[in-house]
Amino acid sequence: MHRYIFKRLLMLIPVLLGVVFIIFFIMDLAPGDPVYMVAGDQATEEELDALREQLGLSGNIFTRYLRYVNNMLHGDFGTSFVTKRDVFKTYMERLPNTIRLASLAMIIAIVVSIPLGIIAAVHQNSLKDTASMVLSLLGLSMPNFWLGLLLILVFSLRLGWLPSGGYTGFRSIILPALTVASGLAALLTRTTRSSMLDVIRQDYLRTARSKGVTERKVINKHALCNALIPIITVFGIQFSNVLGGSALAETVFSWPGVGRLVVDAINQRDIPTVTGALVMTTMLVSIVNLAVDIVYAYVDPRIKAQYTK
Amino acid sequence: MSDNNYIFDIEGLNVRYETEDGTVYAVNGLDLKLGYKKTLGLVGETGAGKTTTALAMLRLVPSPPGVVECAKLEICGQDIRSLSAQELEEVRGKDISMIFQDPMTALNPVFRVVDQIAESLEIHEHLSHHDAQEKAKELLEMVGISRSRANEFAHQFSGGMKQRVVIAIALACNPKLIIADEPTTALDVTIQAQVLDLMKDLKEKHDTSMIMITHDLGIVAEVCDEVAVMYTGRIVEQGTLEDIFERTMHPYTEGLFNSLPNIADRQAMLKPIRGLMPDPTEQPKGCPFAPRCDYAGRECESEHPALRSVTDTHKVACSAYDRQPDFLLERRKAR
Amino acid sequence: MTAEKIDITSTELVSKKYRKRSAFVAIWNRLKKNKGAVLGLVILVLVTLLAIFAPVIYNYESDVIEQNVMNRLKPPSAEHWCGTDDLGRDILARIVFGARYSLAIGVVSVIISLIFGVTLGAAAGYVGGAFEDVIMRITDIFSSIPSILMAIAIVSALGKSTFNLMVAVGVSSTPTFVRVARAAVLSVRGEEYVESARAIGMRDWKIILVHILPNCVSQIIVQATLRVAQAIIASAGLSFLGLGVPAPAPEWGSMLSAGRAYIRNSSYLTIFPGLAIMITVLSLNLIGDGLRDAIDPKLKR
Repeated sequence: MHRYIFKRLLMLIPVLLGVVFIIFFIMDLAPGDPVYMVAGDQATEEELDALREQLGLSGNIFTRYLRYVNNMLHGDFGTSFVTKRDVFKTYMERLPNTIRLASLAMIIAIVVSIPLGIIAAVHQNSLKDTASMVLSLLGLSMPNFWLGLLLILVFSLRLGWLPSGGYTGFRSIILPALTVASGLAALLTRTTRSSMLDVIRQDYLRTARSKGVTERKVINKHALCNALIPIITVFGIQFSNVLGGSALAETVFSWPGVGRLVVDAINQRDIPTVTGALVMTTMLVSIVNLAVDIVYAYVDPRIKAQYTK
Repeated sequence: MSDNNYIFDIEGLNVRYETEDGTVYAVNGLDLKLGYKKTLGLVGETGAGKTTTALAMLRLVPSPPGVVECAKLEICGQDIRSLSAQELEEVRGKDISMIFQDPMTALNPVFRVVDQIAESLEIHEHLSHHDAQEKAKELLEMVGISRSRANEFAHQFSGGMKQRVVIAIALACNPKLIIADEPTTALDVTIQAQVLDLMKDLKEKHDTSMIMITHDLGIVAEVCDEVAVMYTGRIVEQGTLEDIFERTMHPYTEGLFNSLPNIADRQAMLKPIRGLMPDPTEQPKGCPFAPRCDYAGRECESEHPALRSVTDTHKVACSAYDRQPDFLLERRKAR
Repeated sequence: MTAEKIDITSTELVSKKYRKRSAFVAIWNRLKKNKGAVLGLVILVLVTLLAIFAPVIYNYESDVIEQNVMNRLKPPSAEHWCGTDDLGRDILARIVFGARYSLAIGVVSVIISLIFGVTLGAAAGYVGGAFEDVIMRITDIFSSIPSILMAIAIVSALGKSTFNLMVAVGVSSTPTFVRVARAAVLSVRGEEYVESARAIGMRDWKIILVHILPNCVSQIIVQATLRVAQAIIASAGLSFLGLGVPAPAPEWGSMLSAGRAYIRNSSYLTIFPGLAIMITVLSLNLIGDGLRDAIDPKLKR
């Protein structure tokens, strides 16, 4: 198992190098020379060249890429054009806020969706089933930033229960977390339902019932443990969408997280910040996906057996 | 409770599955009872309603689509029909347990084998986790699996070993009645014999009664005291092992015997039963076997033969004996 | 000899075509029974008709674009069913014209990702070997970047325009189609009719086009329907961030963005464009779900 984890970590390296290159390539498509943005209109040609050298903007895309990777390995993600601050530091200051938001959202999504999905599957084709399917379909069809606006409208402006934005303690995280959670909860409800429906027909549940296991335990232990496998997969795939989706939610709620950092940096054409933030976010996604794969192996002994062989 | 001479006593069992494509009549007016410590062989083709009968006894017929009606369903002196869900859970695995047909899918893939056995012990014998694990390992050894493999998962076991685990689960709490649903069908022939021997030994050791569901008359001859032959959800012939094997009365039973290869006379042609089982979504007016029966007369297609006693032990549902009291099957004439 | 060869292929093609037609009829019959899918189809047809005939109902210049400060922020009334925005423009008119943008962006971006994704995925699945490895690793790399962030980066690099928005959303959903197409090709690659086509010397690209892709079409259509829904949400999101269709064009996401400032007193500016997005996306999701169940009834429960 340790060897497997080590191997997966090694495999991450080429992926991350590729990610850096793609982001580099995309940002390079931007028209205009960013050096003018930093230097202002008054700079002379010599000053521009010096500045270009200083900002790491000289050379073609490949030399810049290699220089960037080299710096990255030393923990240097460059300096913001706009704030002149270290990109890595800025990102790390923002990251805890995004992690807080994303984790609460994922917890909400799990707590809501798994019971809902189980109930829907156990009472297939009943009113409960239809209701939870309609609800999850609406959740999937609703843009989350719009849901965020509606939540602000109802809970902040009409009812005045919760703040509409900013970061002011626990009360301020509830609405953004609900916003980010909605899509994930909808998807997980559907996954849980279909996965449970698959498992519910299996013979081993009949074996469990014939042993005298209570119906509640048959569903919550024998069935769910098997149904979890696809649920975990979807969860892992969706983590990337949670981080992406939080960029919009963070904008709606003026939440000082990583997503808004990217959006703001893009509006300010702050290329080092955009590149650094995207690279680090992708790293985070990859590491979480790896963690999910490992959890997966622990839940399903068949998969674990493959890796340990 | 009523007289306790029988481990189970079923009267008028009807099970049907109501699906979108029509109603499947799986079991139709079945009566069945068995004395203590006996083994009943329930024989018939696939689709005859054997497994459904077994599931109905444990009230495990999935509903929907299953609909179960029964005039009497007593097992171990208890009226199974009137039990609450909780009481039913106490009976399952403790008084009655079931060995399922396909060991490949009967075990939960994500739990350790030992935990799956220990679970019934924790439920019914109220053992601590540790004691239950210990007893489960003993059970594994009893069915011939080394205790060192107790912590493995089902996918690490061969088919025969899985079936042994399933048997260990069924035997864990010394049930009074075991329902074995084709326990050897999915296994290799050599393993079949081992598993059968194991079941016979354990049954004798623990004084258990058993229903052996099978389509294999060889197994029946080996382990059963009594035999009930099922066709389209009905019992067509029932009696002691000798009644069925030596004094065969129903043409369908004869057909089953004729389908077996005869080792003594390898030149003899096999005589399979012609045709197929009737569509289970239709309730035939006459004898359901009539279309496939070599002896059938015109009456057979219109009147439904009742199961009537011929001797104290032997019952048959065939109207040939009404029309002609000295009627004999070819099989009997040859002897 | 040659004549025989041709005969084999042509009868095979005919029988396959025949099978396909009856399969589509069966799918359509099952789809018709699915209430959700029918509802989705009805909504989608209505939205599409509105989008097509928008210029007949409203005048783009005078109703949708022209500012009219006298009519600023009017709540819904008989004259303006959904009210007017901060520049005095009729919200309903803008929503109706907005349908043109959302549908066009959703469809075109999915077509872009279909072209790239299916080509690469089908080639990877068919050719296999190192080529497949390279394609799939690149797909992995693309899909590990959160797609909305990648779309944001692409739009910001290419500049704000409707077409660039389509490209951005299309590129970010390409990995899905690479995976779906590859999996679909892998599942039919070993089939006998493919083997026999190869045995009679058919060209590879022709085998993919004639024999393999038609058998993967159903799965790809289901994915495409669901992805159009996703693309509409994504493009509205980008417009909401100010990275989408440039003003004054009436895009639903940018209408939400503009209405946000007036959410306290003119909440209808927030409610109606969002409803439009949700209803359109919902219809596509209903159709996608219905199609999936109709194509593979075993999955339907």
